[in-house]
Amino acid sequence: MTTSFKTTFSPGTIIVGKWRRSRYYIHRMLGQGANGMVYLVQKVGTRQLYALKMGYETVDLQSEINVLHSLQGQKHYKTSRKQGHDQHASSFLVEVDDFTSDNKEIPFYVMRYVKGVPIHAFLEKKEREWLGFVGLSLLEKLQQLHDGGWVFGDLKPDNVLVSEYGHVELIDYGGVSSIGRSIKQFTERYDRGYWNAGSRTADEGYDLFSFALLCLNLLYDEGFKKVTNQQLPQARSTQDLLGLLGHPNVHPYAKWLRKAILHEFADTTEAITSWKRDVYPAAVKLKSKQTHVTPRWLKSAFAFSIIMLCCAIYFVVRF
Amino acid sequence: MKQILLITDGCSNVGVSPVLAAAHALKEGITVNVVGVIDYGTIGELGSIEIAEIAKAGGGISRVVGTPQLAQTMQMMTRKTVVQTIQHAVHKELTHILGDGSLEDLPPHQRAQVVEVVDELSETSPLQVALLIDASASMKPKLRSVEDAARDLMLSLQARQGTSQLAVFHYPGRHSGEEAVLDLDWTEDISRIHSLFGRIQMKGATPTGPAIFKVIDFYQYGTLNNNQAWNEEMMKREGILGDYVV
Repeated sequence: MTTSFKTTFSPGTIIVGKWRRSRYYIHRMLGQGANGMVYLVQKVGTRQLYALKMGYETVDLQSEINVLHSLQGQKHYKTSRKQGHDQHASSFLVEVDDFTSDNKEIPFYVMRYVKGVPIHAFLEKKEREWLGFVGLSLLEKLQQLHDGGWVFGDLKPDNVLVSEYGHVELIDYGGVSSIGRSIKQFTERYDRGYWNAGSRTADEGYDLFSFALLCLNLLYDEGFKKVTNQQLPQARSTQDLLGLLGHPNVHPYAKWLRKAILHEFADTTEAITSWKRDVYPAAVKLKSKQTHVTPRWLKSAFAFSIIMLCCAIYFVVRF
Repeated sequence: MKQILLITDGCSNVGVSPVLAAAHALKEGITVNVVGVIDYGTIGELGSIEIAEIAKAGGGISRVVGTPQLAQTMQMMTRKTVVQTIQHAVHKELTHILGDGSLEDLPPHQRAQVVEVVDELSETSPLQVALLIDASASMKPKLRSVEDAARDLMLSLQARQGTSQLAVFHYPGRHSGEEAVLDLDWTEDISRIHSLFGRIQMKGATPTGPAIFKVIDFYQYGTLNNNQAWNEEMMKREGILGDYVV
């Protein structure tokens, strides 16, 4: 009755849809979520690349598809307000079908292929001030979801893909829950309940909390690991997290993170306004400040030339 | 929806077969999930077979994990089992309507509607989970983690839109007539889950089967005052379920 499998398919396998007869050629596996495996595929007869997700369980995958359907409907009117790269977001869900492998029915859906690397890999290569920029894009992605009445839930580095120039996409919508319901999937170290910092009911603050912990993890990995591993569950609290905010790496973000951890933002819009005002300029200024600082040798050279000038004038006037 | 979540680290060795007890529970409408919890070494071939068998007979899921994964595993199992139970119920309704009710046979757009109903009911149906904890000597160092996991499970249950209650039992009891001891009566209040196992005297025997029977009894003849109201709500709910699918 329940389809449950964890077979992997090797590159070159062709997936044929049972209902719509589309054919997809598997290039390679892209990753695994709680609900299934994702492959990079090419539609046979075209050059178009897609991501194809095969579900472990029919119900779980269908539930995810239902969420994507509603998001798709919602994104149409969103694009009229926001132009630019969000435009093709409406073609997110391409096709839903099943295929048969070894007498088993495996449900799958096809979606747009998003090129990019997980946010932690992205920031390892770039400098840290990119987080100011990428963080803002991520918050805006979350806002889109929240405006539609959804909460992402399982926000963690692996679920945030960043393209070369900092464009952000959320992947794996398996943990998306409607606001007011229980969070479907979560990862303990980013979970509000795990830190004894609130309920597991889906609200905007839940995502903002996970987002703040994701930032802490990216900015100050060792500190975050330490508090995550050391604490006994009953002793775990937001105090441990707030204790990390004094670290110099975290500095421009500290005030914002504090508010997100303590649930002090009324909603995501307020959180974004605050990020733009307090975090973004400070995080990026770190670098520009350094380039504007006049080097000491230049200062001394300038002082020396003034003295020389004075001497020259003195000698000219005197003789 | 009624569930028993058994937490153990080895084989039963006294009394009636726990597999039979689990089969009986399922017959009474109670799903049985089993977590085998091990930190060092292995649970042994016999132990892992028994765990899988109990869950199969009880219509539930079994997992063997270490204490760090205990909380998340219990949460995940409870959630999955809820969805499965609802799915079964919806399937039954579908068989009346479509003749063949298999979800996989439905075209994707119809499947979407069925799953929407399953999701809705999984979130809103009343749920009772009875934790049954093996408190034999080898489990002693793990009881702290078990309690933390129980609190974490309660947190997840509280987030549901439907009423959710948790009760906690351990076994064996102090004397031979006492197969299982009630540590915490049905509650929706997370603050009541603390120092549950302070006074437990650890014993060597592991009468898993008799303990499961005891919990089934508790489900049926629980002396709770609000049990009546609860059952009425369950009946009402089941009525709603029927309406939904039709």
